[in-house]
Amino acid sequence: MSLKHIVKTVFMTEILKGMALTLKTMFTHAVTRQYPEEKRPAMPGFRGLHALARNLDSGEARCVGCGLCAAVCPSKCIYIYTADSTDHKKVVERYELELLRCVYCGLCVEACPFQAIVLTEHYEYSDYSKEALYMTKEKLLSNWDKYMGPDKDREYFKRFWHPTSDDFSTPEGQAVLGGKRTEVIDIDNAHQSLEGRYKVWVE
Amino acid sequence: MNFLNMYFSPGTIDLFINIAIIVIKIAVVVGVVMLHVAYATYFERKVIGHMQVRLGPMRVGPHGILQPIADGIKLFFKEDIIPANADKPIFYIAPVIALVSALSSLAVLPFFEGFVIANINIGLLFIFAMSSLGTYGIIMAGWASNSKYSFLGGLRSSAQVISYEISMGLSLVGVMMLAGSLNLTEIVKAQESYPLGMFLFPQIIGFFVFMLSAIAETNRAPFDLPEAESELVAGYFVEYSGMRFALFFAAEYIGMIIMSSIATVCFLGGWNGPFDIPYVPFAWFLVKVYFLIFFYYWVRATLPRYRYDHLMALGWKVLIPLSLLNILITGIVKVLL
Repeated sequence: MSLKHIVKTVFMTEILKGMALTLKTMFTHAVTRQYPEEKRPAMPGFRGLHALARNLDSGEARCVGCGLCAAVCPSKCIYIYTADSTDHKKVVERYELELLRCVYCGLCVEACPFQAIVLTEHYEYSDYSKEALYMTKEKLLSNWDKYMGPDKDREYFKRFWHPTSDDFSTPEGQAVLGGKRTEVIDIDNAHQSLEGRYKVWVE
Repeated sequence: MNFLNMYFSPGTIDLFINIAIIVIKIAVVVGVVMLHVAYATYFERKVIGHMQVRLGPMRVGPHGILQPIADGIKLFFKEDIIPANADKPIFYIAPVIALVSALSSLAVLPFFEGFVIANINIGLLFIFAMSSLGTYGIIMAGWASNSKYSFLGGLRSSAQVISYEISMGLSLVGVMMLAGSLNLTEIVKAQESYPLGMFLFPQIIGFFVFMLSAIAETNRAPFDLPEAESELVAGYFVEYSGMRFALFFAAEYIGMIIMSSIATVCFLGGWNGPFDIPYVPFAWFLVKVYFLIFFYYWVRATLPRYRYDHLMALGWKVLIPLSLLNILITGIVKVLL
C-alpha cells in the first residue's frame, strides 16, 4: 500500500469528491417538466390518437372498407363493418377502433392504400370510461378535423408514413423483377381512378 | 391560590406547579419535534430531489410545502393491515417501543440555555440507553411480523446497532473527559473556552467516528441494511401499514434529529454561536442541527449501500480502534497540559 493510497483512504478523498459532485448538482436546474402546466409539444410525426381522413373534395371519409388496416393490425383492435348500398356500392357502415388495445405501431397507416387512417399528434385523451376510448367512425372523423386537417395531410404522409399508396414497391436501388415499379395513385382522385380501373377489369 | 391553600400544604402546591411546568415543556418539545419530523421528510425529499436533478414534491401547496400534512393525513386514514400469523401483542407494541424510546431521549437535550426537560447528570448515558432500547422495537417488529424480510431486517439491525453502539459510546468518551461531566448542559458550557466554542477541533476523530456511527445507529443510508429496499423490500417494517408504519417512520426521523442534536451539543457547542441572535435563543442550535440533518441527506444522496461484511468490518476494525485511539490521545493531552 503506497503512501498515496493510505492518504486517499484516511481522508476518504473519493467519497468527498462524490459529495462535492452531489452538492454541486443540487444548485443546478432540475430537468423536471411540470406537466399539466408545462407541456412539451409533440414531435412532428408523433403517433398519437387515431383519425380517419376526409376526402378533400367530398368531405367524406376516404376509407373504402378494404379491411387491410384491420388485417395488418397486430393487436386486432380495428373492426370494419361494410354493407351493400341500394345502388350496390360498398359502404363502410361502421369503422371502430379500440384505443385501449392499440399499440400505436402505425402499421394501419402504412398499410392503407388510400391514406385514409392516420395517427395524429394529439396524446391527451385519457378518460375514466372505456366507452370514451372506444372510437367510432364519427369520432375518428372529428379527430381528423380537430388534430390533423387537410394542411398536414399530404406532408405528414410523405414525411412520416410510407404509405403503400405512394410507393408500393421495393425501395430504390433494390433489385426488382422486370424493373417494374407500381404507379403512384393521385390520392384525391383515388376513388375515380380505382373505379375506372375496376370497370376496365370487369369489362 | 387561596382555594388550593385550603387543601394542600405549600410544598404540595409547589410540586403541582413544577409538574405542570414539566408537562407544558414536554408538550412543547414533543409538538415542536413532531412538526420538525414532518418537515424533515419534506426537507429530505427536496434535498435529495435537487441532488438528483429533480424537483421533489411540488403539488401540494406552493412548492409542495403542505406535502407532509397530506402524507400524515393519508397515513392516518390508511387501512391498518395485520398479518394473520403475526404475533399480535408484540406486533402492536413494537412501533410504540421504537417511538417512545426515540422520544424519551428528547428529555435530556438542552435546546438552549436553561431549557431542558430533565437536567439529569447522566444525560449522555440516558441517551445511549434509549437509543439501544429503540432496537428492541425493531427486533420485535421483525420477529412479530412472521415474515422473512422483516426477520432478516430485525437481525441485521440488532447486529448493526450493537456494533455501532460501542464505537458511538467510545467516541463520546473523549468529550466526557474534556468536559468532566455527563450532563449535556455542562458539556455545552465546558466548550466555551475552546476554539470557536466547540469540541470539534480537539475531538475531530471523535466527531468523525460519532457521525459515522450515528448514521449506522439510525439505520440511514449508506448503512441502511435493516431496511435495504433492494433486498429486504423494506426490512423490519415490511408488514406494517398505516399509522403503525408512520410510528416507525417518525421514530427513525426523531432518532436522526436526536443524533444530530447530540453531535451539536457534544461537538459543535450547542446553543452557542459566533454571535448572539436576540429573542431566538435556540437559533444556533437549530442551524447546527439542520446542517447535520442536511449532512445525513447529502450522504444518502451520494453513497450506495455498504455490503454487510464491510459494514461490520468498518464498525469493529476501523471505528472502534479509532475511538480508542481518540480516548488515548485525549487522555495523554489532558494529563500533559
